[in-house]
Amino acid sequence: MARSFERNARAALADGQLRGALRDATTLFGERRRAAMATLPDWEGARERARAIKDETLLHLDRYLEQFTANARRAGARVHWAEDAAQACQIIGRIAEEGGARTVVKSKSMASEEIHLNAALAGRGIEPVETDLGEYIIQLAGETPSHIVVPAIHKTKGQIAALFAEKLGIEPSDDAALLTAAARQALRRRFAEAELGVSGVNFAVAETGTIVILENEGNARLTTSLPRTHVALMGIEKVIPRFADLEVFLQLLPRSGTGQVLTAYVSLITGAKRRPADEGPEALEIVVLDNGRSRMLASAVTRGSLACIRCGACLNACPVYRQIGGHAYGSVYPGPIGAVLSPQLFGMARSSELPFASSLCGACRDVCPVKIDIPALLLHLRAQVVHTRVGERRLLERLAFRGYAAVMARPRLFEWVMRAARMLRILPPLGAWTRFRDLRPLAPRSFREEWRTRLRHEAAP
Amino acid sequence: MIRSDDARREILRAIRENLARSSPPDPLSATRRGSSPPDPLSTSWRGGTKGEDRSPSPEGRGGQGVRSRFTEQLAAVGARCTPVCGEADAARAVARILTDAGARRVVGSDAPVVQQLLRALGDGFVVDSVDRVSRDELFRCDAGVTTAQWGIAETGTLVLESGRERSRLLSLVPPVHVALLSPGCICESLGDALARVSPASHAITFITGPSRTSDIELTIVTGVHGPQAVHVLLLEEE
Repeated sequence: MARSFERNARAALADGQLRGALRDATTLFGERRRAAMATLPDWEGARERARAIKDETLLHLDRYLEQFTANARRAGARVHWAEDAAQACQIIGRIAEEGGARTVVKSKSMASEEIHLNAALAGRGIEPVETDLGEYIIQLAGETPSHIVVPAIHKTKGQIAALFAEKLGIEPSDDAALLTAAARQALRRRFAEAELGVSGVNFAVAETGTIVILENEGNARLTTSLPRTHVALMGIEKVIPRFADLEVFLQLLPRSGTGQVLTAYVSLITGAKRRPADEGPEALEIVVLDNGRSRMLASAVTRGSLACIRCGACLNACPVYRQIGGHAYGSVYPGPIGAVLSPQLFGMARSSELPFASSLCGACRDVCPVKIDIPALLLHLRAQVVHTRVGERRLLERLAFRGYAAVMARPRLFEWVMRAARMLRILPPLGAWTRFRDLRPLAPRSFREEWRTRLRHEAAP
Repeated sequence: MIRSDDARREILRAIRENLARSSPPDPLSATRRGSSPPDPLSTSWRGGTKGEDRSPSPEGRGGQGVRSRFTEQLAAVGARCTPVCGEADAARAVARILTDAGARRVVGSDAPVVQQLLRALGDGFVVDSVDRVSRDELFRCDAGVTTAQWGIAETGTLVLESGRERSRLLSLVPPVHVALLSPGCICESLGDALARVSPASHAITFITGPSRTSDIELTIVTGVHGPQAVHVLLLEEE
């Protein structure tokens, strides 16, 4: 994995079509977000409130989780706990097998991608079908999402038309409405035959045991109401204390993510259906996933990462993401928040480059609806990377800084070095910096020399 | 075989240990962590879109101001609103909506007002009730008619509660969704609606406009998985 980010980023930068699509998407979502923000008069107050609720929850996460699961169970849900990806996949795989499921319909869930659920289900001979249009396109193409909100943003209409013509047997068309209709028809069949639906969870209310899912397409509603069994996969950080707390999060999440005042659908599901005549699945199985999250509680800095509500606003605002897109990060979680989450969830060894994939400009922190100080987290993680890195690179770096410190602390030595540098016309090696930029040439005489000559001049009669 | 109970204990232990490592040696927070969940936060935030406090609006729920705001917001999110007065008027409006949409096979929910309305619909439609149709028939029908328990003026949203009516699939599967709403049930804000819904319903659905996607080159397309058209009939008593 070493240097893979740099390689991926280079490939992305060379892809003009990708960069154009990214520019359009991130600019559009950024503009919509600003317009939607204006419809909420106290944006700052809402952010502070939301963050305070998240902080309060995280400080008492054990109790809120227990309260949530007890109430969900009381309402008829079954609750499973998974310490890591393998356990979560095994639990869901077993539920699918026990239900005799051959097809599983899925609505968008970052957590399910984090645990690589699709591969685990396929390994058991069960076919997972992504039903969010963007995710469906990606799945048909055998690719991975490049954006949290529009996963197939890197694909053109023409590419999607060719893909649908090949996989769905339709006439190629460059009409987005026709392509969407073809996907609707194909997926309706899958919905009708699926025995199991797997969804993510945006919020889990401790007070009532309710899970809340936001979406625009209606595929999450179909996933959670048509199959006999509904599996909801949630990270431990999704809990919020009270039902009334939903208001502020429902105000912030759609505005930040897609620039909508509210997504087309918000589903609030409390337990399984009550009477046989009720609509909906017979069983609700909630899977509570840790997978490295509890570790982030160990310090106040890293704890902030768990406040994230996965809106994607920081991606759209990030000057690095806007150029290279999601694939370059090589992680389920891309962009600034991905650079923070990936090393913590999947280990430094796999994602040590990501905390450096930032100019630390702070745009991510400014747009974050829950005020996560992403630059501070990036610096914290960079320090960890440097601290744990062993071998030559670290030795060279230390020698260089020691030399720098020695020169800077001694005025005479500094002067001498500068004079030598000017005479020999050598500049300090800046590597990547000078490859694309020119440093200004050094002045023929230094300020100190200039100052001294002038002093002598003026002192002279 | 995973012992879920072991995993539960393990996760809760990890949470507690990591939290203990992070928290400052503050006796107050230590006792708080051992007690019942803390009190609601006291911040100055008020919620609502106007920053106003939560006292009822001068006109009260369903008043002209709230109603016109609801209608405006419905239009903004791509839903259509038709005010109707009495049952006969409502039936005429539904017939017109269905005819314009080219919908023939219509399924209504189990709400008495819907059943009554569909009976008055007239010739030219194949009418059924959600209790009597199979899932396949539901997938083939052209329009679903339900009521909505609440409206939200702030966002142009319909709120459907499963405890009140079988509307979960009818409001989702057919390409056209017609919802009857009493103007008296329009709430001002999201917060008001959250305070009014009954948690006794195992499924509460907030619907804001038609189903939509912009996954193909950011072009907005409606009706991707759910209805392409959402019609709201504001039903005044005669």
